[in-house]
Amino acid sequence: MSSLQSVRDRRSAARAQADGSVKPSGLKRFGPMYAAVSPFYILFAVFGIFPVGFSIFLSFQSWDGIGKMKSVGWENYKYLLTDPQFWQSIVNTLEIWVMATVPMLFLALVVAYALHTAVRFKSFYRMAYFVPNVTSMVAMAIVFGSIFSGNFGILNDLLKSIGAGQVQWLTDPWGIKVAIAALSTWRWVGYNAIIYLAGLQAISQDVYEAAKMDGANARQTFFRITIPLMRPIILFTVITSTIGGLQLFTESQVLVGDSGGTGQSGETIVVYLWQHAFVQNQFGYGGAIGWALFILIVLFSIINWRFLRERNDDLGRKGRRLRRNSRAS
Amino acid sequence: MPVSRRRFLGLGAGGAAGAALALSGCGSGGAALSGPDQVNLWTWNRSVSDKLTTLAAKKGIPGDSSKKLIYTKIGGNYKQKILTALAGKSSIPDIMGMNSDVASYFPDADVFWDLRELGAESVKSEYLDWKWQQGVAPDGRMLAFPMDAGPTALFYRADIFAKAGLPTDPQEIAAMAPDWPSYLKMATQLRKKVPGSVIVPTMSEAYGELTGQLPKLYMTKDNHYIGDQDHIKQAFDMAYKVVKDGLSANAQGPDVNAIITNGKQPCQIGAVWWGLIYPVGSAPQTSGKWRVAMPPGGPGNSGGSFLAIPKQARNPQAAMDLIKWLQSPKNQASAFGEMQLFPSTPAAYKDPALAAPQKFYGGQRTIDVFGTVAQKVPGAYLSAYDDIISTQFGNEIPNVEGGKSPEAAWKTIQENVKRELTRVGVM
Repeated sequence: MSSLQSVRDRRSAARAQADGSVKPSGLKRFGPMYAAVSPFYILFAVFGIFPVGFSIFLSFQSWDGIGKMKSVGWENYKYLLTDPQFWQSIVNTLEIWVMATVPMLFLALVVAYALHTAVRFKSFYRMAYFVPNVTSMVAMAIVFGSIFSGNFGILNDLLKSIGAGQVQWLTDPWGIKVAIAALSTWRWVGYNAIIYLAGLQAISQDVYEAAKMDGANARQTFFRITIPLMRPIILFTVITSTIGGLQLFTESQVLVGDSGGTGQSGETIVVYLWQHAFVQNQFGYGGAIGWALFILIVLFSIINWRFLRERNDDLGRKGRRLRRNSRAS
Repeated sequence: MPVSRRRFLGLGAGGAAGAALALSGCGSGGAALSGPDQVNLWTWNRSVSDKLTTLAAKKGIPGDSSKKLIYTKIGGNYKQKILTALAGKSSIPDIMGMNSDVASYFPDADVFWDLRELGAESVKSEYLDWKWQQGVAPDGRMLAFPMDAGPTALFYRADIFAKAGLPTDPQEIAAMAPDWPSYLKMATQLRKKVPGSVIVPTMSEAYGELTGQLPKLYMTKDNHYIGDQDHIKQAFDMAYKVVKDGLSANAQGPDVNAIITNGKQPCQIGAVWWGLIYPVGSAPQTSGKWRVAMPPGGPGNSGGSFLAIPKQARNPQAAMDLIKWLQSPKNQASAFGEMQLFPSTPAAYKDPALAAPQKFYGGQRTIDVFGTVAQKVPGAYLSAYDDIISTQFGNEIPNVEGGKSPEAAWKTIQENVKRELTRVGVM
């Protein structure tokens, strides 16, 4: 607040100097403006700043949400770091993330390319691919639950009809991960495809025409022109899906329940948080998990950011080289 | 009317302020669920008599017919839902059920009525003392009112015992196996004559039976952990001996019922509800062959439940009156007739519903055993942290049955208990 005040003071002082008159005090002048934007900052304070600040305080308490809080110092964090299930939940999350993200982004690129070159019903396809993203996650998890169901699931019927054996998707540790990853892939393919499509449309037709003139075939065009020029967009989708993947919750919770199913193999970090904070009513510990998750996301964001920066430089160099080469030829 | 921009902004700011006020309005106060002429009761299914609750819903609660009972059965994870409601501090019922984990609510004693203030003690003498004490927090506040109890007995198949050359009369069985060493000796003889026989489905069950008979358990009243002391270690070792002697089936899931049905497990120390679920429920064809005897190792308790009145109750006194009526000796006896909830009021044991000979148990008057046991349960002090501690035992004991050395498991248990108790700030 004080820095804001000083900025305001300096500004009004400057203004007073400029036109030689003294304006009314800050609050009177800016009050209406602050009141006008208040819906945002009041709501943000109530639902944003306060919970964040309170969770720091909470993470040093033992509290069931009902009785008195009890200060326990760093014990929640100590417990967290020594809990094998916490580390397992990180491993689970990363495994599911890889299993979901790789096919998801690949499929999204293929879909985007197809949409880009499609001639008819363009808008219909775009909408159709985006629908999963706006569908209720819980409803879809229930639908996927019956697709992956062990005895009566459509998927197992399909496997049986082609002579393969049944897989107990929702009770097998890896089956659970596959089911959660499939659900996540299904949901986000369309979203990423739309982003890729925007990227594809931003690539100038001149480049493609030039490639055509030089006799490049479709494959060469795709891998030598489309992919390199799309790289920043691909990296953007990688970052957003990393953040999304680390917060994976609904898919797992609805498919296999509060504790991640068999061997807790579907227990992601957020499911772990949910289970401790809201099933076992250990809100203090939940706060500590929340902050651990925050640190983890920051860590991954830094990695991604460095990756992105390097690649951008890399791209810049490549671009220059490309131009040089074309000039030389 | 055209809305100018200034006016629009003004309206927006007013709306936001209104929303903020409304939000803070929900936060404080803590609305009760009941209207002025209602008493809301929340419990899980089969915990209070449907007959009695229907009566109180129709005719009003005894002593104040203007107030009607609204009974809601909470399905699913009962405790999680209750805790969430209490943490939300809104729509709290007047009465809520608590299971045998009643002590886990002690740290939250502030949000419940001290039932002594509502006159609970006027009927104290009618209830089993140890049961009554389980609902009293360490600081003396009475948090929960007794519902049913779970006195244990030795259930056994008289026909199979006869085949093994063992006595079949409850008195003789009790004399032959007064404690666990003699019980295991008897079981070994049974196993010799009827190969494959076991006395427990799992080591965890044996450990539960043993600890249910102890006069002290995991914590003292002033929050000292004693679960690493001899009394627990002896129970743990004895449970392991059961496994070592081949007397545990290591059965999981439906197998637990199957070994009762097919006679592989012809005896078990269990509460009345155990008899209802296993022999009566999964082996109805064995009717008449079962008997109950005084349990080896002494009287114990397994399960049982309570009722409490949250501070936010709209009509606490009416709630108290309703509880007293619902749990009176006469009505507990009628609940036993309805769904076999064993009364915590000794006077009810003389009621025909309980005192009649039981056909399933070969015409034995099982109340002679259960009634005697109920009045002699040592009643260990149950602490708020027993759940956390017993979970650590429960996680590790199956590993012992799976081949882990009991010493290593004991060490792991104690380490994990210390870790858990440190986190909640008790150690």
